[in-house]
Amino acid sequence: MASERLGEVISMKEEVIKKACSIAMKAHKLPEKQLYLVEKNRGSSDVIFSFPGSWTISDWFSRSPFGEKMIDPHPPQFASLRSIGNDQVATVNEAFLTRFQAILPQLQNEVVKAVAERKQIVFTGHSSAGPIAVLMTVWFLENWENFIKSDPSTSRMPPICVTFGSPLVGDFIINHALRRESWSHYFIHFVMRYDIVPRVLLAPLSSLEPELKTILDFLNPKCTIHIQEPTREASALYVTVMSNASSVASHAACHLMGNTNKLSDTLLSFIELSPYRPFGTYVFCTGDRELVVMKNPDAVLQILFYSSQLSSEVEGPEIALRSVKDHFNYQSELQNLETKGVAHFDNLEGLPLSSNVGAAGLGLVLNNLGLSTRARLCLCAAGELEKQKRRNQDKINKKKTDIEKGLLALEGYKTRCEAGRVSYYDALKLSKDTDDFNANVRRLELAGIFDEIMEMLKRYELPDEFEGHREWINIGTRYRRIVEPLDIANYYRHLKNEDTGPYMKRGRPKRYRYTQRWLEYALKISAGSSGESCFWARIEDLCLRTINMGLFEDVKEEILSLEKQVEKWVQNRELGDDIFFEDSTFVKWWKKLPQQHRSGSCISKFINN
Amino acid sequence: MEHEASSFESSEMLANHVASSPLLSESWRLCCDITTAASPSIPGQSFVMKQVGSIGYVAFSSIISEAEAGICCCNGNLVALDDQFFSPLNKQINEGEEEPVLVHAGFLRLFFSIYDSPSFQTQMMEIIQKSKSIVITGHSIRATTASLSTLWLLSHLQKSNSPSLPILCITFGSPLLGNESLSRAILRERWDGNFCQVVSKHDIMPRLLFVPPLHFINQLKFLLNFWHLSMTSPQFQTLATQLNNEEKAEIFRSVMACLEVLAQAEEAGSETRAFWPFGSYFFCSEEGAICMENATSVIKMMHLMLMTGSPCASIEDHLKYGDYIGKISYQFLKQRNSVDGDIPESCYEAGVALALQSSAISSQEPVSTAAKDCLKMARRMGRTPNLNVADLAIKLSMINPYRAQIEWYKACCDDSDEQMGYYDSFKLRGVSKRDSKVNMNRIMLGKFWDGVIDKLENNDLPHDFHRRSKWVNASQFYMLLVEPLDIAEYYRNGLHRSKGHYVKHGRPRRYEIFERWWKERRVSDKENNKRSRLASSTQDSCFWAELEEARECLDNVRSESDPNKLDLLWQNINNFEKYAVGLVESKQVSKDVLARNSSYVSWVDDLRELRSQLWQFSVKVPTLVNGKLVP
Repeated sequence: MASERLGEVISMKEEVIKKACSIAMKAHKLPEKQLYLVEKNRGSSDVIFSFPGSWTISDWFSRSPFGEKMIDPHPPQFASLRSIGNDQVATVNEAFLTRFQAILPQLQNEVVKAVAERKQIVFTGHSSAGPIAVLMTVWFLENWENFIKSDPSTSRMPPICVTFGSPLVGDFIINHALRRESWSHYFIHFVMRYDIVPRVLLAPLSSLEPELKTILDFLNPKCTIHIQEPTREASALYVTVMSNASSVASHAACHLMGNTNKLSDTLLSFIELSPYRPFGTYVFCTGDRELVVMKNPDAVLQILFYSSQLSSEVEGPEIALRSVKDHFNYQSELQNLETKGVAHFDNLEGLPLSSNVGAAGLGLVLNNLGLSTRARLCLCAAGELEKQKRRNQDKINKKKTDIEKGLLALEGYKTRCEAGRVSYYDALKLSKDTDDFNANVRRLELAGIFDEIMEMLKRYELPDEFEGHREWINIGTRYRRIVEPLDIANYYRHLKNEDTGPYMKRGRPKRYRYTQRWLEYALKISAGSSGESCFWARIEDLCLRTINMGLFEDVKEEILSLEKQVEKWVQNRELGDDIFFEDSTFVKWWKKLPQQHRSGSCISKFINN
Repeated sequence: MEHEASSFESSEMLANHVASSPLLSESWRLCCDITTAASPSIPGQSFVMKQVGSIGYVAFSSIISEAEAGICCCNGNLVALDDQFFSPLNKQINEGEEEPVLVHAGFLRLFFSIYDSPSFQTQMMEIIQKSKSIVITGHSIRATTASLSTLWLLSHLQKSNSPSLPILCITFGSPLLGNESLSRAILRERWDGNFCQVVSKHDIMPRLLFVPPLHFINQLKFLLNFWHLSMTSPQFQTLATQLNNEEKAEIFRSVMACLEVLAQAEEAGSETRAFWPFGSYFFCSEEGAICMENATSVIKMMHLMLMTGSPCASIEDHLKYGDYIGKISYQFLKQRNSVDGDIPESCYEAGVALALQSSAISSQEPVSTAAKDCLKMARRMGRTPNLNVADLAIKLSMINPYRAQIEWYKACCDDSDEQMGYYDSFKLRGVSKRDSKVNMNRIMLGKFWDGVIDKLENNDLPHDFHRRSKWVNASQFYMLLVEPLDIAEYYRNGLHRSKGHYVKHGRPRRYEIFERWWKERRVSDKENNKRSRLASSTQDSCFWAELEEARECLDNVRSESDPNKLDLLWQNINNFEKYAVGLVESKQVSKDVLARNSSYVSWVDDLRELRSQLWQFSVKVPTLVNGKLVP
């Protein structure tokens, strides 16, 4: 452990870190109008972008209680920052996002130029500039492919983001999404053991507004008025932030530890719980000679709280003041970076639980970070959850053979039906033969497997990377295309639409909604454009509506657009041409449409008249 | 065991979560404010409603009048809850098999004395309108008023179908309120998470009612009097008519003895237990707090903690909630490292050791082993239901193919040339492979569902299991499809001759239970029941059993000579006919009922024939001709 150097652990040169730190601090002194600082050294391969912090409270909290905002999916500036199957968009701090958007237009060209010069791009920021650096990096990653596409000779070196004492930026989905995209390790956050700023967004605005205002004035390097040490405000701020951090951390820990008591859910309606969560790699500075590197975001959250706890009540005022002053100590802390011992926790197993004095090695480092036995148990629980997620993934990977067998069987069924000039959709809807019955049993068996996977995804019980696995996206798509028509057939066979409503609105299972989103996300196509597997549901719906209304004009638009899609799906072989068999539900319905419409239709070429 | 080793003890973490919110200290502050301000003789003045942020607080004064104290002491019997105010609690799973929901008569009267005061309800409605969430709180005897107010409000909100308003009841040193059925009913309604009962380590009050009522009527009055005086005018505390040390010790001993019996009785003792805890218990000591909810474990912990106390401490502790809350509310600031002895290596054991530290039970104390076991049990009891229900969900998807095979069997029979329907086909089945396969599936599905019910009745499943739509729907689907086969098997084997008819004497209990679940399910929007086609399964799964009875009547009519009996038989026949025609006309029967050779159709034919023989009117019976319904 002690032999490793930080640079090796996080694969980044210590020199770059130190340089980034000094430039991040320098950026605070920029004149008002200058929104960023670029540092290019002749002969050096990297370009460092840094940003000045802001010291007005509205640049931290746009509103009460936490000033967070869902990322606008239109236009998709941050298309990746979402959970795909769950269709949940990330939330970020609105004030930071606004500031980022003000800076981006000015910076954009400079970044593109640096990329063209094959430079290593580094975004850095201290304090409230940290989130700007983070958002810049995400923006860069989102557009990286485009940079490479437009100029294949450009650098393929990934960007680096280093922050120092940065407040939190967004909710847990940021971490989920960055891990899925394998971008997470580009983000390095340095946090001093007591620095209050990385924790400040865990508390609601109303609880700390006046104190934070004073503290920000005190911290502002450009503030010309001499302010006395804000002892009272620092203490108040420290207690408020710690109590809210405790709420967030203990709530998270209850979940990690598998608490089943419903009281913790009830409490959520009574307390304002911060949505912000850490992501990326955290480097905690003990203030002594050690650094603790942690990648597990659940563990980082716990450390953010526990490492600031007091060892005795008497040190309260001193620590409170230190929690403010430490915010400006990064440069001096990192001066002799090379000599520091590094403890890094790739897995959190076997952590020494006892916090007795006199411990050595890992135990001493954890002691120096102020992590009590309770804190360490939380870290263990975070590690255990990560392990459990991997075990879940192993478990479902083992089901691939069963899935393959089921899909092959159903593909065989489809082929056999087609040999008899019947679409397998219509065959299952009638269910006349044993073969149809067996297909239905296969459908149910596969549904069991996929439902289990979807349940896990819904509860985030699979590794974050899962929805990024090409193999599973392919399996999901193949499954959806072959099996969903059978679900629809069964749905309308049993007239479930009369009890429950139309399939698309009320009956479509998660296993198809999720897998469709996987594909649409992977191909970067718009939501709903890969709806070929629900073709039959739309036909059933149209059948009912054309019977009941009789007026063609009312559904004309819809039919035209469906026909256009069908043409495309059939040409791309996303939809089988068994739908055009003479007696298929589709053809029978289509042939009842007005002659005028049919003769001009783009799919008439597929249908025997 | 492996599972146990890798798990974590979360009772202390949950307590930390509660303690780091301002809810406890805010509630306690309001309780104290109203206690010092209130005049106990005016019910309208013994509570306060106040908005703090977006939360509406309702706090009751700890002081009750002497008359009220008398009511509480002398009415220790249990009475039923009024349906008008608490209706959801009175709906039981096994109507008649369980003891009804009962509460302490005196506490209920105390609640109504406030509820009936004119300002209570208006103020309550006002604060509900204004607040995003409601905390209801009280200390000592009045804590039971807080609990009853919460139960009333939860019932009221459920009845008025208003958007769910989060409600939390925080009690300090509350005596027990009701019986075990109350505790179960609260679990069933998923209201257990709405109660946080703060109980200090040695406080006698929350434990007092484990002793049979009427035991200490006089001593109780003294106790209440002492506590009241201490709260209102601490300087005169010594003037209160104190119990002498012997009396204190006597109370302490009796409570301890009763607790011991209960704690040793393990789960589900046979005797009826008068009072029983509900909700989450937040046990606090000067070292911290832990939170548990399993009632059996709560009782054990109450017992173990009291064992470390003394008669005097048990009485004084009832007044110390302010100190405890004050301390616990700031505990998050400190690392709290000092644990005596070594920290165990396993995460689970280490967590248990810390939880004991927070309960102020040192590892040297003799009770510590029992306390560890108690925490372990609580965790196991908390987790088992959820693990079981997840396990059952997987099993359900595994047996789905069996159900599909029966569906397929039904479809084949429906479409076959024999035109018998699956009920009659199965009843008259031969020895083909297909028939025995279907029979096997029927038996296996029955076993699965009987297993589900066994688990539910052993309390191995969540208490609201039968409210979860997944299970209500799955069981209903199963019943509609498979019960006809069970009926067919029953009559095929002639069991009706030895045991009596199916509906009364042969129906497996599972179906009665599933039928009740289905009837009691919450339907959000009224379903549109108009059917355009015959249902996939007949919507009354006992249809065929009713038919068998009607057939017997029809057979007997021919040979019966006693006019009274004959009259009765005809009445039964006409009733069934009316019922069946109703189902057929609303398309609630499936195709098989109307198959040409089904026993229903032949029954209708027989009836028509008999009637024409008897020169009676003929009835219109729709039949299926070429797949179309014709009269």
